[in-house]
Amino acid sequence: MNISKDLIEKYHRNQCSAEERDAVEEWLFSSHTDEGLQLPLGESKAAHKADIWKGITDILPEEVHSETKTLTEKPIRKYSFWMGAVAATIIVGVSGLGMVQLQRNRQQTDPELVSVNNTSTVKVHHLEVKGYDLSVGTSTSAKIDNLTGLVDLSGSILISPKKDITLQFEGSPDKITFKKDQTYIILKSKEGKNQIIVSEKNLMDLPPILQKQIINEFNI
Amino acid sequence: MNSISKRSLSFLLLLTSLFGCTDSSLTAKNEGAHKYSIYILAKDGNEYIVETDQLDSGIILPEKEGAELNTREMDRSVIVKNGYYYHLNRKKAALVQYELRDRQLRAVQSMRLTKFSLENFHWLGRDTLLLTGLNTPDFTQVKYAMLNVAAMKSISEGNMEIPIPSGKFDNMSVGFVKKQDSKLLVGYTYHQELGLLNYTTSDTTYVTELNYPQMTAVKTAKDTRSTYPGGVNTVQTSSFEDVQGDFYFMDCPGIALGNRPELATGILRINKNETAPDPRYFFNISRSIGNHAYGMWPVGGDKAIVRAERKDLFKGLWDHYSTPHFEFYLVDVKNNKVINKLALPLDKGTRRECVLLKDNIAYISISSSAEGNFIWKYDLKTGALSKGLELAGNTDFILRIDQLR
Repeated sequence: MNISKDLIEKYHRNQCSAEERDAVEEWLFSSHTDEGLQLPLGESKAAHKADIWKGITDILPEEVHSETKTLTEKPIRKYSFWMGAVAATIIVGVSGLGMVQLQRNRQQTDPELVSVNNTSTVKVHHLEVKGYDLSVGTSTSAKIDNLTGLVDLSGSILISPKKDITLQFEGSPDKITFKKDQTYIILKSKEGKNQIIVSEKNLMDLPPILQKQIINEFNI
Repeated sequence: MNSISKRSLSFLLLLTSLFGCTDSSLTAKNEGAHKYSIYILAKDGNEYIVETDQLDSGIILPEKEGAELNTREMDRSVIVKNGYYYHLNRKKAALVQYELRDRQLRAVQSMRLTKFSLENFHWLGRDTLLLTGLNTPDFTQVKYAMLNVAAMKSISEGNMEIPIPSGKFDNMSVGFVKKQDSKLLVGYTYHQELGLLNYTTSDTTYVTELNYPQMTAVKTAKDTRSTYPGGVNTVQTSSFEDVQGDFYFMDCPGIALGNRPELATGILRINKNETAPDPRYFFNISRSIGNHAYGMWPVGGDKAIVRAERKDLFKGLWDHYSTPHFEFYLVDVKNNKVINKLALPLDKGTRRECVLLKDNIAYISISSSAEGNFIWKYDLKTGALSKGLELAGNTDFILRIDQLR
């Protein structure tokens, strides 16, 4: 059976027939050549596969056993975007935390795109990338493009930059500088109508009801 | 050496001793016995406490003269009295007593206080402190802890007999606590979370009369003229008792507290020996000023200073604290009258403890983007306003000024 992108997506949605499921899993766990995967010339498929597995085994125990362990930066994984998604989504299947994607450019140590979809209603997801630490609140989808500084957020995040960074939020023309070694609370409602960006130092300027929500959410 | 040159020399020595004495040595002298305390948030995110004996003049650089705070343990929700600072460390579940020595805030002693979200403090005596709060993480049950601060020992702790939120309401806030003879009056209201960044508040101010010290309910008064009594008084004052024993509190439905901006900010009064707001008294601040207000400080007699927002200058909650838009008004609470708006620079910070009274002078701290951080002096007799002590250097916000002794 040809393992297409559509089929893998169907697999993630849990809509595969038993036959399709077997085929996808056989492809995923097989040591044979991947028919559907095109790699750039000169790149070893075996090396990619080893990297993916390493990525999974590195992350897996942390995600399963702990609610708030830091997801530390992993060695550069050289795999295509959608195959990366497969690996990441396997983590999701096991942990129920949501989807984490780090798309990397081989020339850089920073991921180009940090994309986290935390579908959990109780667990906050913590990530550490080179430029900043990120805590992604419950029921939150956050995509940060580290090249353009564009952020697409629905929900709540806490960000602590390790150097000054400038970000721009989807739907707003303003560019906002986040200072090194400070923690910022960023909340954006699903409808995108309301957005709050506030340094943790100014938490008490927010209405007490919101303060309590944030304190509970991020345990600060 | 003739007598003239001797005199010149002694004059020179006198001059040197006078002018060689810097502000920093003035503030450092007699450390541990200062009259005032100032809590600073700096531009680089550091926080400092500076102690000083006067607010009238001079300049202080917090990063040079203040105690840098460990902000993982400390924040501006502080109770200051008799030279000590009391702060609830949520993560360690402890109420800690601090003092400032050798430019360091040092823990003196502490008391365990678990699952407690502090809403209000009320001194029942020189060493007897009543803390009122809510259970965490639900914020539905009003709790209290009464303690002796000299020993930092609990006298009694428990729940107050106040109804938990019901119907659509899922959390609540306590605005004021007041001892009235053998009873305790607690003002509060209920809220409903409407998802991230959105909530609403009941249209009712509740005042429950409790037996003291049993904390059992006697009766509850409901007032629908406005809502959200007070705010957290460890962060900002919004109620007081005058010399006649009448108690004034402010209802704050604006977006920074109640989020019912369609209702009026108003001052209500519980008369001496009464247990419910006076139905004949309501000072409609929104109508008089044209804006919502948060924060009210007594300045003697029937007068108070009210801190009001300027809705034309901020866009929403997100710039409410960073945009300078706050104004101060002198009001006559007894006669429901705004006396005048003070000619101060626009102030920033949604909530700040920023007014002190001494000898008919109101000291008002202003954090102005244009004119810097100053303690201003407002002479209540003459109405004259002038700049006093400057908080310079890295100062971004003067978060509190307190009478330390």
